[in-house]
Amino acid sequence: MILTMLFILGLPVLSMAFTAWNPSLEKNHFATLAAGGGHLVATFYLLLTRQNPFPAHAWFGIDPLGSFFLLILSHTFFAVALYSPGFLQRMDKPEYQASRRLYYPALNSYLLASTLVVITQNFGLLWVVLELTTFSLVPLIYFYRSKESLEAVWKYLFLVSLGLVFLLIGILALGVAAKGVGEDASLIVTDLVRDAAQLDPLWVKTSFVLALVGISAKIGLAPMHPADIDATSNAPGPVAALMAGSLRSTAMLVLLRFYEVASNTSVRAFSQGLLMISGAFSILVAAVYIWRSRDYKRLLAYSSVEHLGIITLASGVGGVAMLGAMLHTLFNSFGKIALFFMAGRINRDLQTREIDSVHGLMQSLPWSGFVFGLAFFYIIGTPPFGLFFSELLILRGMVHAQNWLVLGCFLVLLMIIFIGMGRAVLRMLQSPEPFLAPTGKPPEKFHVAHAVSFYALAVSVPIAILRPDFLFGPLHSILAEFGFAL
Amino acid sequence: MTNALSILFCLTLMYLAVTTRLSSYVLILVFQGILVAGVYTVSFFENFSAAHLVIAGAVLLFRTILIPSYIVKIIRDLDMGHRDRTRQYHPGFLLQISGLIIAALLLSHQFSRITPLLVIPLGTALAGICSGGLLIVRRRLLLAHVIGFLIIENGLFLLGVGVKADLPWVIELGAFLDLFVLVFLMGIAINHLKSHFPEGAGEDLTTLHD
Repeated sequence: MILTMLFILGLPVLSMAFTAWNPSLEKNHFATLAAGGGHLVATFYLLLTRQNPFPAHAWFGIDPLGSFFLLILSHTFFAVALYSPGFLQRMDKPEYQASRRLYYPALNSYLLASTLVVITQNFGLLWVVLELTTFSLVPLIYFYRSKESLEAVWKYLFLVSLGLVFLLIGILALGVAAKGVGEDASLIVTDLVRDAAQLDPLWVKTSFVLALVGISAKIGLAPMHPADIDATSNAPGPVAALMAGSLRSTAMLVLLRFYEVASNTSVRAFSQGLLMISGAFSILVAAVYIWRSRDYKRLLAYSSVEHLGIITLASGVGGVAMLGAMLHTLFNSFGKIALFFMAGRINRDLQTREIDSVHGLMQSLPWSGFVFGLAFFYIIGTPPFGLFFSELLILRGMVHAQNWLVLGCFLVLLMIIFIGMGRAVLRMLQSPEPFLAPTGKPPEKFHVAHAVSFYALAVSVPIAILRPDFLFGPLHSILAEFGFAL
Repeated sequence: MTNALSILFCLTLMYLAVTTRLSSYVLILVFQGILVAGVYTVSFFENFSAAHLVIAGAVLLFRTILIPSYIVKIIRDLDMGHRDRTRQYHPGFLLQISGLIIAALLLSHQFSRITPLLVIPLGTALAGICSGGLLIVRRRLLLAHVIGFLIIENGLFLLGVGVKADLPWVIELGAFLDLFVLVFLMGIAINHLKSHFPEGAGEDLTTLHD
């Protein structure tokens, strides 16, 4: 178990130190890949053994919820680490030199900070490490050193930090709620869940509202989403994949920790209602802006708002829908890897992010166009991909809960988003006039980014159909922790 | 004593409303840092431990020395001293801050009926958080926004004292370090922003939209 923890925490530390000290990009790539690979292996080991390597009621611990989100983080990071050399190879202009040098240290510090968020059980410490994830992303979002990326990084840093102020007030409110417990009061998740009956409901309610408002900026839930949209759409492809695939999920985990405490108290119904409103509003905002968006990277960023909205809404519904929400988080991360990798490649090759300026991708960039198209069908929830099954579970949960109004609105909004996204993506893939290959330009070759994206899209199918026990076992434990039955 | 220091903190908020000079903002930050450290020390005086001493020392180090010095450096490096007037003084702002302070104290009094709390420090904390937010909305310069954020952070620290949240010292120190890194990163960002947006005003940041 000590070895597992060394893999999960020690490798990112070593890799971060090595990449900060060593200037060779090639060596830094191998160090990052080794750290990511080791992290992924250790995560699988934790999922298979279902053991917590830390003492009970400690500041750190790995519960089923943590191990599941660790898998999302680890998997997305490894995919990004695999693609990174291919991305950096093309970023050879002199103005990118400083960004290239900072790329791997920042990537490794992100892995470390996010791992700490996942394994931290103390709410106070959780706030500290959550802020570290924001810092680690700053050099990555500012990679292109353009006016736009600078504006994006400023807004992200400022608005997310302001949001985290609300989160800290929420944590303090939780501390006040825990005072009723007496001398043993602590801010450790397991202790708070154990003593849930003795927590002051008014302060738990206050804490949950503030936490939801505060963390929304980091998750990308409306109306706090704009900074996240700007940052995701202006970051390079692999960084955007990391943000959409794992950062938002990690932030979602923080909200779920508050929800875990609240759902074991008398304010359970209140917190469920709040999550449903927040989720539904995010899907509505995404539906409006997906139609308005003229930039395909922003379109994809709004797709993240939609999916995080779905996850939040389904978490609020509870029961089977909560199981669907957890699966949706995993499958959304797979889809975002493929979509943002391909969007980055399209942007680099065509030098435009405008939807109206991109035509005939299937002819001009056959591999990227094909994977982008496939990823589009994946993200809108087409069978046999995983998101189809997770959305089915969410719908089943809504039917079980007899939330007919929510169900109706959800289906209508999904339809609007499907048409809106389809309108933009299919226009990009097809050409209105016969395609004329540009002279002197070699045809696009199959790249590691395509292979990773194919894998990310395909792996969701066996998971959704075969329902492996190493994954569904922890998922059922998560539902039990939240007090939901299937 | 805690109440007296908290009231002095409220006065710094009122000064915030009537000044538009960046150098005055820095002075307010220094003074608030001293007051916050004082409130913290006095509040936990009865069972004062080495951990409390470390936190009080860290408050003084970060909030009155390191962060203000860094902001002064940014002002000098970017030659912002000669046009430090972010917007002309407006009596409405003073009225708004005064109203906020009164409302926050009344709200704190209401809270104290539900849970045992330190009414005046809690009210001051709420007023500090809202005033910092108001400064961000009312002032144009990005550096003024950073100062607004730091005032919110000062209010937040007072809030911890007000609700008697005795967090472990490691977490408190971690939060200070986070704050320092955040201000450091914001400083670097402002340095870069100046090359693209010479005025360094928030309203210039409108390139990104749908």
